[in-house]
Amino acid sequence: MMLKRMAALACLSLISSVMVLAAGCSRQDESETPAQVEESAAKKPDKGVIALSVLTLTNPFFIEIADTMKDEAAKYGYEVLVVSGEFDPARQNDQVNDFIVRRVSAIVLTPCDSKSIGPAIKQANTAGIPVFTADIACLAEDAKVVSHIATDNYDGGRQAAKAVMQALGNKGKVAIIDHPIVESVILRTRGFKDELAESASPIVIVGSWPGKGSKDESFKVAQEILQAYPDLNGIFAINDPSALGAYAALEIAKKTGQITIVGFDGQPEGKKAILEGKIYADPIQFPDRIGRETVRTVVRYFEGERVEPELLIPTTLYYKVDAENDPLFKET
Amino acid sequence: MAKGAAKNSFLRFFSEYGMLFILLLLCAYYSFATLNEQHPTGADAAKQVSSDVIKSAKSGQVSVLVAAGEGTEAEVFVDAVTAMLEEAGVTVADTIKGDPSDLREAFDEIAKSGRKIDFIAATQEASRWAVLTNIATNFPSLTDTVLVTPRSYLWPDFLKRANLIAVADRIIVIAVVAIGMTMVIITAGIDLSVGSLIALSAVMSTLLIRDLAGAENASAFGMTLCCLAAIAACGLMGAFSGLMVSRFLIPPFIVTLAMMMVASGLAFIIARGQSIYQVPDSLVWLGRGANLFGIPNTIVLMAILYAAAHIVMTRTVLGRYIYAVGGNKETARLSGVPVKAVLLTVYAICGALAGLGGIVLASQLKSGAPTYGLMYELYVIAAVVVGGTSLAGGQGTIIGTLIGAFIIAVIQNGMNLTGVESYTQKVVLGLVILGAVLLDMLKRRGWRGARQTGY
Repeated sequence: MMLKRMAALACLSLISSVMVLAAGCSRQDESETPAQVEESAAKKPDKGVIALSVLTLTNPFFIEIADTMKDEAAKYGYEVLVVSGEFDPARQNDQVNDFIVRRVSAIVLTPCDSKSIGPAIKQANTAGIPVFTADIACLAEDAKVVSHIATDNYDGGRQAAKAVMQALGNKGKVAIIDHPIVESVILRTRGFKDELAESASPIVIVGSWPGKGSKDESFKVAQEILQAYPDLNGIFAINDPSALGAYAALEIAKKTGQITIVGFDGQPEGKKAILEGKIYADPIQFPDRIGRETVRTVVRYFEGERVEPELLIPTTLYYKVDAENDPLFKET
Repeated sequence: MAKGAAKNSFLRFFSEYGMLFILLLLCAYYSFATLNEQHPTGADAAKQVSSDVIKSAKSGQVSVLVAAGEGTEAEVFVDAVTAMLEEAGVTVADTIKGDPSDLREAFDEIAKSGRKIDFIAATQEASRWAVLTNIATNFPSLTDTVLVTPRSYLWPDFLKRANLIAVADRIIVIAVVAIGMTMVIITAGIDLSVGSLIALSAVMSTLLIRDLAGAENASAFGMTLCCLAAIAACGLMGAFSGLMVSRFLIPPFIVTLAMMMVASGLAFIIARGQSIYQVPDSLVWLGRGANLFGIPNTIVLMAILYAAAHIVMTRTVLGRYIYAVGGNKETARLSGVPVKAVLLTVYAICGALAGLGGIVLASQLKSGAPTYGLMYELYVIAAVVVGGTSLAGGQGTIIGTLIGAFIIAVIQNGMNLTGVESYTQKVVLGLVILGAVLLDMLKRRGWRGARQTGY
């Protein structure tokens, strides 16, 4: 009897403490938001919440998008609510439903799946909440997206091809470490191939292999490519983790001097590899610009401007020289 | 003595319905925490706004601009306000249904023509557009315009109809699969393959619809066949796991771990790693439709399945066999329970229900992708265990699982509504699962695992 009562009490207190923890987090959030007051006196700007659901918060790229969006939105009096789908389309779908229940002013998404996000966006459309996409586009036809803000991946792919041609003296054999599931990556590879074809380069693309955009998979696949093509001269990897995975394979095969790697992205780790000469060059993306332009597009939309349906942010090639002058490496 | 008896019955009630109590506590807490200003929408908003305009217009000629965004509610609002105002003899000069830019163009035109607008009747959303809040600076001639919006009232976000449906939507797949998982766990087994089977079933059904049933033009009958085929395939894979467990005595953890990889791989192979979206709009009937008195079909499905499973587990021979196998396999065998057949059936049911879960997910998202169902097996197991089913087998109820599933859904939903960060959410959810199971353990065995001596 006694024991059971104690047990029940212990558990109740455990659960309630967890709930208090959750409450603590939410309260902290509320204090950041000025409470919505005075409905009738709407002369005073009563800005709302921009809700953001990103693909993942384990990648610094999306963290930077989210952080710049928060800063930029604060300048215009909006609050940004950040959640992450963590690659699960169903979870992101639920998050959009929650945004609709909270009646946020605008929704910004980097879809976990370009097609599966359709029904969720459609629901937001019905509820009258404008939807914007950043970095990854929505490809569902019946869903209405106000504007899409992203890196010009196709042109970035072309820049990568230019870097490869430069590095190899416009000859030799190149392999692509690909991830043809993501729309942005498909564009990169297409730009890469088109540039080589249009400039009638004698460089031969021996094939593309799936590296899943991750270091470990690309490492494994690069080892196999090196076995199959011992005379390979260059590798185009569709992002920094893939490029670094490929570099690890080169190290094991002792081919680091012979094979040139061109990556994509310009994440800190990738830039450092460029500084150390592990990667020849990257067409770099600007997640901060994507974040800033996204917020500005939302603000311009609410001010009543006609915003462009697509806003592409160009990449620039980043070489060792750029890394040497990069303030990122100056501090240490 | 009477006092003691009352205490006893309270404790019994608590231990019997402890999880239900916690669920209610959570609901109450989130209702309180999400208490927020709400605004009527659609026709209600229209009634309020137009009566406000009519009242303050007093008499004479006033002109009104009606502004709203896009979407069905906004459309209802504009049409209703326009109708009500015109009935009362008030001129509706302009109606805006659309983007902020449409409203800006209307203001430009009004300012240019030198017309006067006395009232702007706007939905809550439209009243927050910058073009409207900055009207005084951008359009000096419209400074005297009075903005009329729906009045706010207090009501928890959590208890809004749309949110309660969102809670159910969030949990439907996990709840459906958890029925099968409960049965498996009661036999002292485990099924780790359900997440992958969800993906496989979603991919397989959409693929069949695309390639065999006529893609976007598939008939309801064709789609049903495709979905049944996918469910049957998952049921067969479950039966295969059951066979391995019962005939070859491989531990369920290993068998289903292998099946998890096999099923996930198959899903990626047949989908070629892509999502499959060439399906008719009507596929969303199951996941997003509401045919019975406006109750979503998913909730009806969940209710039917839980009722059926409850009856199976409490009123049928199969149910008694499942408990018997989990309680003590050897004793069960000696008392004539067909242990092997029971195990096979249970894993097959679990596989088929995972298949059904995949269909629901494909229907909700109107597409199938091999990335679906990631980590779902763990959430399903969590729902079952929070619901009071013992991993040691022999104990557990279907209703408990339903409550467990809802506890998880309410916590996730509530944390999203109160703006708890994603990372913190994981920590909280983990602790709640631990707390719930601890409570259950203590309820059963008492402090320090002491044998309970009865009431």
